[in-house]
Amino acid sequence: MEMQTVDIREAIRQALDEEMERDPTVIIIGEEVAEYNGAYKVTKGLLNKWGPDRVLDTPISENAFAGMGIGAAMTGLRPVVEFMSFNFSFVAADQIISNAAKMFYMSGGRFSVPIVFRGPNGSAAQVSCQHSHCVEALYGNLPGLIVLSPSNAYDAKGLLKTAIRNPNPFLFLENELAYGLKMEIPTGEYLIPIGQAKVVEEGTDITIVTYSRMVGICQEAIKELKKQNIKVELIDVRSIKPLDIATISKSVKKTGHCVLVEEGHSFAGICSEIGFQLNEHCFDYLDAPIERVTQKETPMPYSKILERETLPNASKVIAAVLKSLNR
Amino acid sequence: MVYTQDQEGAQITQSLQRVMDKKKGESIYHFEHFDRSAMIKELGKEKLIYLLNKMLLIRNLEVRSEAAYLQGKIGGFFHAYIGQEAIQTACVDVFGQNNWWITSYRCHALAFLTGATEKEIIAELFGKENGNAFGRGGSMHLYAERMLGGFGIVGGQIPIAIGAALSIKNLKKTDETAICFLGDGAVAQGSFHESINLAALWDLPCVIVVENNKWGMGTAVQRAIAVEPIAERFAKCYGIEGYSIDGMDILASYHSFKKIKESSLKNRRPILVEAVTERLRGHSISDPGLYRTKECLQAAIQQEPILRLKEDLIEAGMLTEEEFKELDKKAREQIIAAVQYAEASPDPNPVVLEEGVYKEE
Repeated sequence: MEMQTVDIREAIRQALDEEMERDPTVIIIGEEVAEYNGAYKVTKGLLNKWGPDRVLDTPISENAFAGMGIGAAMTGLRPVVEFMSFNFSFVAADQIISNAAKMFYMSGGRFSVPIVFRGPNGSAAQVSCQHSHCVEALYGNLPGLIVLSPSNAYDAKGLLKTAIRNPNPFLFLENELAYGLKMEIPTGEYLIPIGQAKVVEEGTDITIVTYSRMVGICQEAIKELKKQNIKVELIDVRSIKPLDIATISKSVKKTGHCVLVEEGHSFAGICSEIGFQLNEHCFDYLDAPIERVTQKETPMPYSKILERETLPNASKVIAAVLKSLNR
Repeated sequence: MVYTQDQEGAQITQSLQRVMDKKKGESIYHFEHFDRSAMIKELGKEKLIYLLNKMLLIRNLEVRSEAAYLQGKIGGFFHAYIGQEAIQTACVDVFGQNNWWITSYRCHALAFLTGATEKEIIAELFGKENGNAFGRGGSMHLYAERMLGGFGIVGGQIPIAIGAALSIKNLKKTDETAICFLGDGAVAQGSFHESINLAALWDLPCVIVVENNKWGMGTAVQRAIAVEPIAERFAKCYGIEGYSIDGMDILASYHSFKKIKESSLKNRRPILVEAVTERLRGHSISDPGLYRTKECLQAAIQQEPILRLKEDLIEAGMLTEEEFKELDKKAREQIIAAVQYAEASPDPNPVVLEEGVYKEE
């Protein structure tokens, strides 16, 4: 198979470009997506190639352009709406929550909303309280939405292409710090099905479940744990909703130990949900209580020192693994 | 600031006085001038009776559903369109169903006018399996092939409407328009201003109709919106055409919407419309309307659109009092049959509760 080395940014750009080629109803809407080439250059060159009818720069007007995307999706287009940061999606929360998530059910199946909201989620480098929130737990609470959060270029491209073709509303959560992560991926077209977690590393002693940028943090921890001869099975959730609890619970049944790692907050977070589902599926197989490593319960502080302190990191993951294994 | 009840009452009376004064004195609105008898002649007996019948059906649908609500057969929120029938009846007839239609939670009439049957609408109000949205939407969420809803959050439908207009523009449907209705209360929402700004910037073919029924729930429009008239003033701000329409008069509404349609198809730009009306009921069925004086309500009832058209038709020799009674009776019977249909319809099967949250590929 012919391969290419690309970063996540380029993988997403390719996904957008290929889907725009394939389907003339796919359009891109957002702040600075066209003439500026994207705040993080994800949509670079797409205006030049596809023109201003399909790559639309909006004013700073999230509620209107998110809702406009939903209205367009209900009437024949397939919009990909970029939020410069998913923290700005809160301005458009009414549209995402009351309209996109509920439309298909509320209309008795008459109107579906084939739309993808995408953009960076979570913390970056010292962007402080209002630009660092992880939104997946908030939106994961809403029936009708699909929430994806890839950790690498291969998944980002394959999942985004699948999302654009799907008739339902998606939140596609990227990460600013991960846009430059490189990887070898196929040059030709491929799709990745929704709702499938991936076993990134196999192991027999303990299962770590995580997603997005935290996959890298966990891999760092696993390197250290290997030195102590602890064999970790690492699962990348990839699709937060729907959640592939089968893959996760299969692993936990095998290892009997589990650490959940989430960049966002602990209270009512994604780990809370996975933990509860593991309780339902694996109670008899657990040899120790499930551990979790999450962000502390504060808004994200600006200070580099405090930011580092509140986020999960490799040493916190290692500590949780050792605690679970009673070592 | 906390008002005592008396202070609150005094404030309401004051703002009502402003409405009444304006009615007596010079109108703040610049309604389109038109020749009433020429309009009657142009539309002709058949069309006018057809429009009258539509309004009678809507009125009877609302009245009979209210009765069913009071018997406990309909639950949730219920917002009647009584008093405002002329606006959407005229608008849908002028533009034709083959456009994108969007409105607020006060949506029974628009669904009916754009093709939902009275049976499926009332069955939905009853929460039945064969309702318009299979008993999942209810009073605030009705649909038709070209009607996107029924939206429950004030102002939440306006961005949806400009999205439909974007589709029309991108898919080059040169004979279609996205037509969005909202109440005066929604004018205070950011979505109203953001959407009009975007639509004006991008030349989106939409008509935004503010149905100023004088009340955002119990708050008089003068206590909620800083300037009026709404369309004439805000259209100027956004560099688009704005029209005021006498929404209590179907002939005036018809005349204005014809002009608006012409402009929309020619210029493919957003148009802002204020249809001046007054709902003759509370905000919802549970609102006794204590904020409105009897005189004020009586004044509004005097201008009631169905009686006004009836009088026009009688004067033009196109209708007799007996014929009107017969028409109303038939409309009532048609609606009663739909109520009976809804009552006899099965409830949704709980087995399907979790189906249809996501669309299958």
